[in-house]
Amino acid sequence: MKQLYYDVKKCLACKSCEIACSIAHSLTGELFKMLGEEALSLPRKKVLFCSNKNYPVSCRHCKEPKCVDACMAAALVYDKEKGMVLHDEGRCVGCWMCVMACPYGAIRPNIKIKMPVRCDKCKDKDEPACVKACPTGAIIWREEIETVRNHR
Amino acid sequence: MKQFVIIGNSAAGIAAVEAIRKVDKASKITVISDEDYPSYCRCLISYYLAGEVKEEKLSYRLEAFYKENNIELLLNKKVNRVDPKKNRIICEDKSQLGYDSLLIATGASPKFPESVKGIKKEGVFGLRTIKDAKEIETLLPLTKTVCVLGGGLIGLKAAYALRKRNIEVKVIIKSKQVLSQMLDAESAGIVARRLEENGIDLIFGEDVTEIIGEGDIKAVKLASGKALGTTLVVVGKGVEPNIGLVKDTEIKLNEGIIANGLLQSSIPNIYTAGDACESLDLTLGKLSINALWPVAIEQGKVAGSNMAGGDINYQGSLAMNSIEFFGLPIISLGVYKHQEGGCEELKSSDAKANIYKKLILRNNCLIGAILVGDIRSSGVFLKLIRERVNVSSIKDSLLGENFGFPDIMDLIKDKEQIYVENCS
Repeated sequence: MKQLYYDVKKCLACKSCEIACSIAHSLTGELFKMLGEEALSLPRKKVLFCSNKNYPVSCRHCKEPKCVDACMAAALVYDKEKGMVLHDEGRCVGCWMCVMACPYGAIRPNIKIKMPVRCDKCKDKDEPACVKACPTGAIIWREEIETVRNHR
Repeated sequence: MKQFVIIGNSAAGIAAVEAIRKVDKASKITVISDEDYPSYCRCLISYYLAGEVKEEKLSYRLEAFYKENNIELLLNKKVNRVDPKKNRIICEDKSQLGYDSLLIATGASPKFPESVKGIKKEGVFGLRTIKDAKEIETLLPLTKTVCVLGGGLIGLKAAYALRKRNIEVKVIIKSKQVLSQMLDAESAGIVARRLEENGIDLIFGEDVTEIIGEGDIKAVKLASGKALGTTLVVVGKGVEPNIGLVKDTEIKLNEGIIANGLLQSSIPNIYTAGDACESLDLTLGKLSINALWPVAIEQGKVAGSNMAGGDINYQGSLAMNSIEFFGLPIISLGVYKHQEGGCEELKSSDAKANIYKKLILRNNCLIGAILVGDIRSSGVFLKLIRERVNVSSIKDSLLGENFGFPDIMDLIKDKEQIYVENCS
């Protein structure tokens, strides 16, 4: 199961990952056309600055996800095979229980369209858009690190 | 092989079943519900009433779930009494069932205050079950005005739903603010304004004393003497735990069934979870009921694991509410009003943008939060409250624009896993 890791020493907070994420999840898939879309595609990743370092923050796809437990609409499900928390937009009512429950603050509310914004690891693509876009190699896409397997 | 009996087929019951089946595939599990539907998303019934969610989207676990997990589901069956001495339950239809381990996850029912004359009349509803929502729905074509009693969560969710159906809605609220169980006056003001802007009538400082009408409801009478014309009444005056089935047994009760750290009642093979369970409240430091969906899930998981032989200590619950009205997000966590004795408040607000954020600290630990308009990072606050983290070193950043998980990383117990160095 591949996961996203971050070498924070390398992150310059250029936010290329945020922009790439927005584009990848937009309807048109192109930067300038995307800006004209009715519901702006918000990035599912945010780079936060703390103690002189930059931390890209996005969904970790926890194995015991608090968001799934809190979801009162059964719109969030943990898929064991894929190792991912999946979100069924058709069931979601935008109650923000998941935003309230995520200890990482990794789910952001898109208030305008009443839909939570969270990482889907770019679904079927080989490599998430943020990984491709990172110019310094700070975002690492690799098999899960064995030693931490049972703790998440 | 054991016989597990679960009374209640909603959040806590289902979570318990899933926890039992994780470790015990063989034992017999019987789930009993007095409702007519397989498990459904109870919190969505106001969305259903609003016309925003279709009935088929209400299901929480499909019927196949019960088959796949080898669960006997008994619907439309009311348990009248638990007999702890004989380890059996007695149902309304006189049938009996023995158990090795029992979970009481019977939930709660709307309160219908008897001080209101005529509260039992036809046309007066709670909003708790699909049945309630459907009965209200069938009357909507004949309804012009609805009076909602109570400005709490259920009252306002009902008001929102009915307004969405173009019904004229008047909410009669005893206190001076909406959501007085989860917001302070200032944040409640923002919510009230949003509701009023969208056509919901809020009447503060008033109480209904009587529901008037022979046969059909004609009006409600207020304490001030005024009458408001209406043909339908929805009561949102809080809920009470469904614990009638264990009254007059040796099971210890307070407001709900008193649970220990393992979520056992005072009888060790009888567990409790959800809205009927009175357990430790983390922020209050005493027993309390937090009748909330996420709490019911947490408790169901713990109770289920322990019923199946586990030894999980329940960390305790806390108040946590999230709602959204007409595009305004509202989250309230833990203690929400200033308390006596050394509490500190951090506040930031932007009236134009309808943003209000307040954090309440005691001894440098976060014990509560109100977030209206901007709810980003609310889960990080929840984590700080749960773990009683000393936040003195980050106090200045808590309400900052850039606040997030990285700020608390070094303060919490978990070992960091995704921010790595030289891992490749």
